Amino acid sequence: MAKLSMRERYSLLTRDLDWTPTYVDPKIVYPYTRYEGIKIHDWDSWEDPFRLTVDSYCKYQAEKDKKLYAVIDSFAQGQGHLLLTDARYLNAVKLFLQGVTPLEYQAHRHFGFLARHLDGPGPRFAALCQSIDELRHTQTEIHTISQYNKYYGGLHNWSQMHDRVWYLSVPKSFFDDGLSAGPFEFLTAISFSFEYFLTNLLFVPFMSGASFNGDLATMTFGFSAQSDESRHMTLGLGVLKFMLEQDEDNVPILQDWIDKWFWRGYRLLSLVAAMMDYMLPKKVMSWKEAFELYLEEQMLNGLFPDLEYYGIRPPRHVEQAITEKEYMSHQVYWVLYNFSHAAAFNTTIPTAEELDWLSASYPDTFDRYYRPLWDRAQQIADSGGRFFYGGLPMLCQVCQIPMGFTEPGDPTTISVRSSEFRQERYNFCSDGCKWIFDREPEKYVQAWLPVHQIYQGNCGGASIPDVLAWYGMQPGDGGEYGASPDKASWDEWHAQAAAGGAE
Amino acid sequence: MTVKALYDYDYPAKDRQENFGDDILVHVLWANNLMFCAAACFRAPKAMPWSDFKAQMIDPWASSDPGYDPAAPAGWQVDGGGAIDTGANPTLEETGVGHKGLITFRT
Repeated sequence: MAKLSMRERYSLLTRDLDWTPTYVDPKIVYPYTRYEGIKIHDWDSWEDPFRLTVDSYCKYQAEKDKKLYAVIDSFAQGQGHLLLTDARYLNAVKLFLQGVTPLEYQAHRHFGFLARHLDGPGPRFAALCQSIDELRHTQTEIHTISQYNKYYGGLHNWSQMHDRVWYLSVPKSFFDDGLSAGPFEFLTAISFSFEYFLTNLLFVPFMSGASFNGDLATMTFGFSAQSDESRHMTLGLGVLKFMLEQDEDNVPILQDWIDKWFWRGYRLLSLVAAMMDYMLPKKVMSWKEAFELYLEEQMLNGLFPDLEYYGIRPPRHVEQAITEKEYMSHQVYWVLYNFSHAAAFNTTIPTAEELDWLSASYPDTFDRYYRPLWDRAQQIADSGGRFFYGGLPMLCQVCQIPMGFTEPGDPTTISVRSSEFRQERYNFCSDGCKWIFDREPEKYVQAWLPVHQIYQGNCGGASIPDVLAWYGMQPGDGGEYGASPDKASWDEWHAQAAAGGAE
Repeated sequence: MTVKALYDYDYPAKDRQENFGDDILVHVLWANNLMFCAAACFRAPKAMPWSDFKAQMIDPWASSDPGYDPAAPAGWQVDGGGAIDTGANPTLEETGVGHKGLITFRT
């Protein structure tokens, strides 16, 4: 028998193995694909541009894994962790493992669900491949980063932390919002908004940060995941266009979801913004530059003019995000600095050189609004103290970030919005988060807000040590970097190496 | 607009006032000091006199900034509107602040 082409094999796999149920109503076989209001007339018009089959998929992934694990082994054997720019860099890795890796796992689970519950065999198989990708990313991230766990704090209990810790409720609640939506909203939220629209602002900063700071292992993981990510991006745009083309009635529903998930994703990325501008000893680019390149140039000027053809306009509230590019990273890192005694990573005052880099990168705002805060923190440090926020913060009901964002265009006034629903008040950090609440209040009144949960006695106790123990943290996981076990070990190992080198 | 679902979607709010008994959650913002990245959140009895609320909750928190002078706060307002007459020592409830409401001050 002649060998089949890849195209023929794909067609056999996704079409010939499928059948139309006749004993049972398809609406019972696929119960989730009608209630959201999205109309699909022809599932077969979905085309996976990659036409993956099981054998080709396994072959590519096995080759990539082989390369990655060879690098991880040699990195570990060669004490590669000592070649980082500084142990301080690992705070970015801690944030990634605690905040992003569990999302990969959640994505794995939900794409597995879609691989069963979408009506069309093409989309089902694409969802299956993505589900396996996400599981593989979870595993390779754990394996890549676990080698640092032998030497540094904050990496030992990331899974439990993701479910409990206050700043990790930001990514967790984001993804839970997607998982608890219907399949089409999930595809808009995760495949389109997260994997296409915003992905370069998430993935590139972490992986370039790794490469700039000597983290060869994480950089290699990035390369290994990159071809999957570009496949997910193509699918993300493909699935959006598929839904748009199926029925005109889908357009307003999808616009609404694009509006919601832009703001949800953008608020989540504020943690990445803080990481980029403050946690990397060697900077890649500023958040503002990344935002201008990846969001304004590539998406607003590239993608959205193309989507206009379908009747889709740029996301609601995007103009506020553009205004905030001058402030956001500073405000969110200041939140993390205020509360790092309750976090599983360290923060510290930027060095003089970094402060100058921040001034140069943010000429209109940094010296005026944020350098004075760091100067004051330095004064407190000079007199032997460390500024920590001695209390618990007000949280946004939707994004769950402490309400440290300011009024658009006014960086000195904290922005507070609120809504009343069934005689109870809810607070928000921004017009975007308030708009998201107001369209589905029944959903967000259930938010597990870490501060309110502590006050209801659900987090191990009333004192900070009780709560940190319940979070699964250990002494030294958080707090000031200058006084951290990570810094002490790093200095000691490098002093030993210097002494050894002199002999 | 409401949640689209395949079933009757109705769940109680996680932080509804009854979960806190005779207490409420109150937010306090030091409006002109951005050293504090956000307003603070406290759990306090509705019947707590203002003087106790300030001395037992606000002062220890605000003292995170070593420059804080407990005599300095002024211009107390509830939800950006009604002024609090701190001299009359009202209870929290009497200030008009509700569950998850916001009190601001300046120095």
